[in-house]
Amino acid sequence: MSDLKAGLEAYLTELWGAPTAVTNLSRIPGGASRETYRLDADTGGVTRGMILRRDPPGSLIDTDRRLEFLAYRTVHGHAPVPQAIALEEGGGALERPFFLMERIDGGTVPSPFVFDPYGEHAQALGEQFFTILGKLAALDHEGTPIREATQAPAPEDCWRIALDHWSAVIEADEQHPQPVVRAAIRWLYRHPPPPAQRISIVHGDYRTGNFMHDGAGKILAILDWEMAHLGDPIEDLGWAFDPLWNHFDEAKVGGLIPQAEAIAIWEATSGLKVDPASLAWWSLFNAVKGQAIWTSAAREYRDGGFTDPILAVSGWYTARRHDLILASRLAALEAI
Amino acid sequence: MTPALPDILRGNFLCLAIPGPPEQQGEFMATRVGVVALLSLLAAQEVERGTTARVWENDAIAAVLAEAAEVYGVQYAEVAQTTAKDLSLEALDRANAALRRGLIALHEAVENAGDLPRHQAIVGLYGQMADNRRLDLPPLPAR
Repeated sequence: MSDLKAGLEAYLTELWGAPTAVTNLSRIPGGASRETYRLDADTGGVTRGMILRRDPPGSLIDTDRRLEFLAYRTVHGHAPVPQAIALEEGGGALERPFFLMERIDGGTVPSPFVFDPYGEHAQALGEQFFTILGKLAALDHEGTPIREATQAPAPEDCWRIALDHWSAVIEADEQHPQPVVRAAIRWLYRHPPPPAQRISIVHGDYRTGNFMHDGAGKILAILDWEMAHLGDPIEDLGWAFDPLWNHFDEAKVGGLIPQAEAIAIWEATSGLKVDPASLAWWSLFNAVKGQAIWTSAAREYRDGGFTDPILAVSGWYTARRHDLILASRLAALEAI
Repeated sequence: MTPALPDILRGNFLCLAIPGPPEQQGEFMATRVGVVALLSLLAAQEVERGTTARVWENDAIAAVLAEAAEVYGVQYAEVAQTTAKDLSLEALDRANAALRRGLIALHEAVENAGDLPRHQAIVGLYGQMADNRRLDLPPLPAR
């Protein structure tokens, strides 16, 4: 028996107060910021399908697992997400911090780097994808679990908080000078966006590749809330629209639907408007944020002894893609 | 640039050579093998284009710095003298790091001066640098 399986059995037995056996434990590919496992937990003849998210020794992004856990709890019932079950910030039985949630079966999560993953269902999935995001932007988070872990920023501060955070990540983790992203950071500081129309729950990594669908045109779950926070909801749109996620189709965002259609759906469900100046700022910002994530990936790849190939792809291929995207966006700007 | 090509190729070996626990076999390991294969494909591109891209970029940055020195200061001419001791990727990257630091400083000075033509020239250079270093992913079908 593996150490992980034994640890899980001990933990769940104590949690539920009944002997629990873990079966079908297997790691799920991807999830570079947390180790992700599927498992079945059998207690007194009842089997629960579960997902374990455990902190890795090194990760793509250093995020707050409690915030992620509370984000799941907050949006459950408002957006298709699995139910969060238990959080252990100390690690204990599993050596590193972790949380458990219910498993949603019967779906598929295509890689963001494959060609035409949605086929004839792209339109239906795109409509749902941006409807869900609009509803998230409109969700009243006062008094919800996520507010236990984070305060709402002032509308005029959202951009600065986000930019300070991600530019500091680049400053801390950069191993080779990156003039393109540094030029973008300076431009963003010189040209702040309008204040946020409202303070919303921002998923933080809302993109193709982070949702599960049933293969027949229905979204089953929005996943990977590890970068969730409160902020300007346009941030999520800018990330979802990034060309990195377009599946080789420049006419559609996320390989799903045209950008104008996505905006119309989002506006109708959120009750908010997309200011072009705001979207332009958050789009450039998201390319900076992406480069920060890939910069950290390169550092983690080195610090982890070069053994996680996902980190290599992130620190190398995606970093080069985002340099191209950043250079293109900078060239399109008129003002210094 | 990081990660360096030798690191990636050694990493590919290590991640397959070190046995994982039982729960990391199956789908997880199959996906890992696929990612290693993808990295090998990208490594081939880097071998084909990497030296040429670095030599070009170092020369291009040096030219911009040297040309700007008359207006922005002799320190940029000094940085522009940076050369790689040989054509290994490591030596080229070491020189590239010094030149890129010079370019970052120059661009900031150009922005502060409101020098739009030179700003646009530098931004244009960024586009060429990024394009020369691009890695091309094949349009793999979804599984």
